[in-house]
This record gives sequence, structure tokens and C-alpha cells, in this order.
Amino acid sequence: MSVPAADILATAVPVPAASAGEPGARRRGVLRSAEIVIPGTVLLLLLFFCFIWPLFGMVPKPVGGLLQTTDLPLFSSGHIFGTDIVGNDIMSRILYGGRVSFVVAAAVQVIGLTIGGLLGLVAAYAGGWLEAVLMRVLDVFIAFPSLVLVLAIADGLGPSEIHVIWALSAFSIPAFAQVSRAAALSLRDRPFVVAARLSGTRTWRIMFTHLVPNMLPQLLTFSLLGASITIIIEGALDFLGYGIPPPGASWGNMIASGQSYISVYPMLVVVPSLFLLLTTICLNLLGDGLRSRWGVR
Amino acid sequence: MTTTADAALPEVPLRPSPLLEVSDLRVTFRTRGGQVYAVQGISFTVEPGQTVAIIGESGSGKTVSAQAVVGILPRTAKVSGSIKFKGDEVVGRSEHELRDYRGRCVAMVFQNPERSLNPTMRIGTQIAEAIQVHLPVDKDEAHKRAVELMRMVRLPAPERRFFEYPHQLSGGMRQRVVIAIALACGPSVLIADEATTALDVTTQAQIMDLLMEIQQETGTALLMISHDLGLAASYAEEVMVMYAGKVVERAPTKELFAGVRMPYTQALLDAIPRIEAEPHVLLPVVGGRPPDLSEIPTGCPFAPRCPAVQQDCREQAPPLRQHEPGRWWACWHPYKKEPSSHG
Repeated sequence: MSVPAADILATAVPVPAASAGEPGARRRGVLRSAEIVIPGTVLLLLLFFCFIWPLFGMVPKPVGGLLQTTDLPLFSSGHIFGTDIVGNDIMSRILYGGRVSFVVAAAVQVIGLTIGGLLGLVAAYAGGWLEAVLMRVLDVFIAFPSLVLVLAIADGLGPSEIHVIWALSAFSIPAFAQVSRAAALSLRDRPFVVAARLSGTRTWRIMFTHLVPNMLPQLLTFSLLGASITIIIEGALDFLGYGIPPPGASWGNMIASGQSYISVYPMLVVVPSLFLLLTTICLNLLGDGLRSRWGVR
Repeated sequence: MTTTADAALPEVPLRPSPLLEVSDLRVTFRTRGGQVYAVQGISFTVEPGQTVAIIGESGSGKTVSAQAVVGILPRTAKVSGSIKFKGDEVVGRSEHELRDYRGRCVAMVFQNPERSLNPTMRIGTQIAEAIQVHLPVDKDEAHKRAVELMRMVRLPAPERRFFEYPHQLSGGMRQRVVIAIALACGPSVLIADEATTALDVTTQAQIMDLLMEIQQETGTALLMISHDLGLAASYAEEVMVMYAGKVVERAPTKELFAGVRMPYTQALLDAIPRIEAEPHVLLPVVGGRPPDLSEIPTGCPFAPRCPAVQQDCREQAPPLRQHEPGRWWACWHPYKKEPSSHG
């Protein structure tokens, strides 16, 4: 059973041909970056139109609409999404309402990330009774159904944007604390952290130069996913009347006020719902995209 | 170097105290399944500039012993016995009190260079950080010293490499960076815990040679932890063989390989593939498994696997005794000068 050299060569030749499947690999690369680029671009556009576009004065006021211009349909001149039953421009209310959604989502994530992240980090690094007490207290918060908890807080504090932020933070802080604790625990015994400890580096320096930068991918992807949940819950609070009180615009209270007219003017509900959907889908896709790009579990 | 040595020398008896003196070190882990006796009373000394190797299979307690020496055992571990560095007791010191001892006195190089560096920090910054922890130098000075250290561990183009991240380096270069970090504060004892195990054989030789050169240059003592008897034979002056948490044989390298006494050491030697051996024969392996460390056996821990076992081995554990000058072994029936071929 001798194998002639030619046979070996014959099997060897197709190998370069097989590696011509490289464009496939590249396409996969493009797809992977599309996962990040497309939702990222959509979100940036949304942010631009909500926060910067109205500054140029080309957007009508979201309140104080005229009675002559109530219930205009889609694509009316000057009112691209039409107007609502009191004559306010719907596009303007979408943009100003979007501000509320984004501000609340960002604030809740930032509060959760800093306070919760810090609590989790300290708990993981300190260990012992401190960790046990901290995490059990936070577990109690997590064990509550979030919407009920948030409703109770928002009801107690009264309807306003800042109260919504506090109410939602009560939910995001423990969630971030758990993610951060898990991330810190998996890093704590890595050789480079032990090596830093071994060379005598101070605890706070280990935490902030060795642990935190390596925890950020996990915390950031989590905060994107958290932001989409926040926007939905914030919408629900508005819808139930515990969020932004009606003269002010928000996607949730637009849906709430539009639902009475849903059979006559479905656009009043459909337009803000579509924006809510678009934003949360993009946040989720971006979070997932970054998660797979950064190799976070 | 000399200043630290002078500072830490109290009233020294005639014989200068060794650099590192470990006596009757015991490490016990509390687990749900009960106590695990990972290290059961080992003693050794390391003299300045000496190279000592601790050899043993996985779970023999060699890494735990090293971790005890630098004080990085997990919280579940209970340490007793004594570890003295230049006569000062290390066991029982708090994390705070250990800070100065670590880095300046002892430093450690870990097995996996992949995981021993922070992936989000420039390698130069990581070296400079280790310098600044102990020495009152400003950023520029730390930078300069870091580049010097990188040159010392033979990293090519250190000025440029300073700003690179760990993923831009090969495994061997990463291990060089890890060594540079360990050397940052001029330790008197460098512990290399399987420092070359994750590297390929040529890189392994380069890193070992580097460690030897550094030892020549700085006079650092080297404590090698390895499972590779061949590696220890090539580089160490003294070898300690550990089995089941105990030292079973200890001797100067040359004498050890001239005539092994303890059957376990012989079994380890036999398990090394030899180039001059007959082709196509089975490599002798040590049959059975190491004992469960959650209970201390009554007899010799190696008895169940020992080819030369006799009745008394099962009844009483042989103590580690110095039988000839510099040669210690724990065995009731050691091999004679010419070890009879195993069988």
C-alpha cells in the first residue's frame, strides 16, 4: 500500500482553491459589521432629529396647535405626519417625545451603570459579609416585578420626567450590580489581576485600571439592551398616566391619547408605536452586534 | 540591592540566615466536602542566587506552596508553619503588610502569558505601573525604567513596543513582558510557576535561558515550579520532588540524576520519552491516581502505586530525612546507588 507522491499532490492542490472561499468570509465580516453599522446609523439619525434638528427652528412647536389644523392626514404640507385632534404637529411631538425617551433611557443607564456597577464591583472584590448583604438587598429589588415596582414608585413621587428616571433606576441599579459583580468575579482571579496584586498595586487602582476596563464591554452591551427595556417601560408609564403629563410630548402619552380615536385616526397610535418599535429594535440589534463583536457571553 | 539587604539584617548568627526559609508549611483548604490537606508540612530554603526546582504532578501541592510563599492563597486556605524572608515571618501578615514584601522581595511569573497581562492596557504602562507601586519615581522616570526592563528581557524595539497592546505580541514576547513586570522592583526571589509550560519548546528554551541570564545579571534567586523533570534537570541546582502535598525527595540536581532513591522520582523519570529507547515500545506510566488529599493516609502516600511497596510502607509514612549530605528522601525501601531497572 504505497501512496505515490502524485496522489498526495492531487489532494494538496485543491486546498488553495478551497481557500478561494475567502470572499465568503469577507461577506460574513461585512454582515457582522452591518449588524453594528445599520442599527447604529438609524439610532444616530434618530438622535440627530430629536435633539439637533429642532434647534434649527424648522419644526413646529409640539404644543399650542391651531384649531384650523386639527386631524390633518399624513403628508399634509408642513405636517409630514399630519396633526392630532388638537392641531399639534405629530412629527414635532414625535421628536420632542423622542427626547424624553432617550434622555430617560440614557439617564437610567448612566445611573445604573455607575451606582450599580460600583456596587457590584465592590461586592465582588470585597467578598465576605459585605458581598452577601449587598447582593441580598439587591436581590429583593430584582425579585419585585419591575413594572409594578416602578408604578409604585412613580405613583408615590407623582408624574414627572425626573421621577420616572428615579423609579426606573431602582430597577436598573440592581440589574447592573449583578452583571458587574459577575464580570468582576470572573476577572478577579485572572492571572493579570493576581499579578497586579502580587506586585503590590493598591486595591482601588486594581479595580479601576485592571477590572473596570475589562468589564466595560459587558456593561455597555448590557446598557444598550437595558436602554430598550427602559424605553418600553417608560412608554408604559406614560401610557398609564404616571409619566410625562399630557401637554408635554412623549411617545407613551401620544399612544395613550391616540387610542380613543384609534378607529378614526389610527395614525395617532401607529406613528409613535412605530418609532418606539424602531428605537427598541435598533438598540437590541446594536447591543447584540457589539456583544458578538466583543465576544461577550 | 545592597541597601535592602543591609536594612533587613538584624542580629544574624554565625551562619547567615537563608534568603527564604520555609519550615513545616501546611496549607489546608476548607471545602464543602471537608478539609483538603493540599500541603502537608514541607520545609526548604532558598539561598541568594540559587535555582531551586519543585517538581510534581498536578495536585501535588507545588503551586499551592508557591502561592503560600507570596501570600496569594484564596480565602478558603488556612496556612500554618513558617515562611521567613531574611528572617522575617511572612505567614499571618495582612494584605496591607504584604504589599512591600511582594514585588520587592518576591515576584512571580505565571503559567499562561495569555492571561497574565491586562488586555486593555499598553504593555509599557503595565510595566511602569509595577515600577511606580514601589519606587517613588515620576511618570517619565518609570517610562525610562520600563524601556530598560524591556531591553533587559530582550524585547526587540522596546521604545516602540512600549505602546503596544498584549494582543500584538507573540506568546514568547508576552512572557518576556510578564517577566519584566515581575522584575520591575528588583525582587530577591523570582518564582516561576510553570512559566514555560504554555510555550512551544524552542520558546521555552529561550525563556529559560533568559531567566538564567537575568539571574546572572541581578543575583535573583529562582524558584522553579514545574512538572517537567527534564527542564529542572537542565536548569536547577537543587530539585525537590513533591507528591500528595509532601516533599518525597530532595537533592542537588547532579546527584539526584546520578542515583534516584525514591521510587516515585524513578517513576517520573521513566515516564520521560527517551530518544535512545527502543522504538514502538509503550512509555511506562505511573499506574493509578494520586491519593485523595481530603484525608491523610496512614502509610506512605505513594504506597498504592509504588512498584517496590512492602508491608511497612502501608503501616507508617516514612519521614523526610537527610540520609546523605544534601540528600533527603522519604522512603523505607529506597533504591540503592544503581537503581535496579523498574519492573
